[in-house]
Amino acid sequence: MDIGKLSLIELSTAIRERKLSSYEVTKYYIDKCHEKAELNALLEIFDDALDKAKEMDEKIDKGFKGKLAGVPVIIKDNILYKGKIASCSSKFLENYVAQYNADVVTKMLEQGAVIIARANMDEFAMGSSTENSAFGVTKNALDPTRVPGGSSGGSACAVAAGLAPVALGTDTGGSIRQPASYNGVVGIKPTYGRVSRFGVVAFASSIEQVGPITKTVRDNAYMLEVLAGGSEHDETSLKLPVNDYLSEITGSVKGLRVGVLKEIEEAVRGLDCENSYRGAIELLKKNGGEIVEVSIPDFKLTLPCYYIIAPAEATSNLGRFDGVKYSRRSKDAKDIDEIYVKSRSEGFGREVKRRIMLGNFVLSSGYFDAYYNKAKKLQQKLIAEAKEAFKVCDVLLLPTTAGEAFKIGAKDGDPVSMYKEDLFTIMANVLGVPAISVPYGKGKAGMPLGIQLIADSLKEGLIYNVADFIEKQEVK
Amino acid sequence: MTKTKITIEEVKRLAGLSALEFSDEELAAFIPEFEQIVELVDEVKNCDIGDAQLAYTSHKLSDCREDQAKPSLPQEEILLNSPKTKKGSFCVPKMLD
Repeated sequence: MDIGKLSLIELSTAIRERKLSSYEVTKYYIDKCHEKAELNALLEIFDDALDKAKEMDEKIDKGFKGKLAGVPVIIKDNILYKGKIASCSSKFLENYVAQYNADVVTKMLEQGAVIIARANMDEFAMGSSTENSAFGVTKNALDPTRVPGGSSGGSACAVAAGLAPVALGTDTGGSIRQPASYNGVVGIKPTYGRVSRFGVVAFASSIEQVGPITKTVRDNAYMLEVLAGGSEHDETSLKLPVNDYLSEITGSVKGLRVGVLKEIEEAVRGLDCENSYRGAIELLKKNGGEIVEVSIPDFKLTLPCYYIIAPAEATSNLGRFDGVKYSRRSKDAKDIDEIYVKSRSEGFGREVKRRIMLGNFVLSSGYFDAYYNKAKKLQQKLIAEAKEAFKVCDVLLLPTTAGEAFKIGAKDGDPVSMYKEDLFTIMANVLGVPAISVPYGKGKAGMPLGIQLIADSLKEGLIYNVADFIEKQEVK
Repeated sequence: MTKTKITIEEVKRLAGLSALEFSDEELAAFIPEFEQIVELVDEVKNCDIGDAQLAYTSHKLSDCREDQAKPSLPQEEILLNSPKTKKGSFCVPKMLD
């Protein structure tokens, strides 16, 4: 059996049925992680993973049937796994050891997962290329001169390069979907609250979610069934039953009302993604989908709205890194004020500092109403506009990114150009609704592009169905 | 549309609020970048939001759990990540003479 060619679902079935052992599967993937170290997708390969795989084999022999029994998984470096470092790719947390498990880790371990490594990312998830990692940029799995996207660039690269059948990312403004698109894999940002954020280092708490990155849509649906669910540790998590997402994948899009956004028509024209975008619309139309033009009149304000809300929350969330409680303290600090200032100044990278400053700008006296409060009101207006759109369509179809993965260093010193990378993905975070990226078409240089499907809250099953349909046509 | 001007004093004020320090060169380099970003977010400042009301969460919060005392992390584990501890406490230089 060629382990690397098996999907997550096939792999978990084969291990449960004892056609493969967790040990051999885990060893296969750990060997791949070492072989492809030059990608810099991973910050650490856990040295106890093979022992855990052996333990899992014994458990399976005794009848354990967890959904991830013996399956190797990679986690993003901002997700806490007890006893392991979770550095958020920051020098500040370089030596920070998690003292408890994130809820998503607990859920995966309960289902028998073997966590084999932690993946590189943009520092504190702030970025769209992993170039902001304090530990070096990750390379795109398909072209090492290009970025893998970000912030979950290590996770997406790892899945695309075959270092694990699944990796977890987090998505605050597109950080799962954009790297998934750049590496030709599948990534979902679930409905806000669908997955517990407990034990995930916070960046912008009111809009971010954990989600899986996989090679196929079906694998992704399978994985979300494990991750989703409410938790008493996360007040914003939704205490609702989890759907059987796989059963919602029907293989048909007949009668589906596909919304195309009037507001992006201009923006898409001439972009690298245009052919993929129009091709996907055509594909769904040809197969029984009804194309409906819809409007979210303030769509163009989602990007600036995000760049107020996210930095404001980041400023508050990163206030805890003070040189007293976590990991790093400046050696030059002589008094308490210097501990705060010098530890932070030495520990944070440039983009993180920029966002903390921006957050303080929009929250500070004299600006708070004009920026932060206004953005929060605008968010409500956008939610109302989207509700109207979802009355006439079932899913919205957008490109995931403007184009294919760009060259490493191409956007250096141009933060706004980097921020605009998230133009099409940010809306789902501001609205709190689920969005998936599925590979469809190629860019000018032959790199993969992604199509994004967005639905109303809790309709993950619906977007999985459409994404699965597009994926199957893409393979053909 | 009013354009928000960013001055060196403003950047210094924000650095103070952020508990961050920068060299003079870094501060100067910040200004054009920051002006660009502020120009972007000014689109929100200048937009019409009609009668949209303020809400701090995009979704209704779930029901609150019972307020019961439960065991927390042991003190010694919490202190493990601190750069300096003493007798079960976080340790910082003397603040008062």
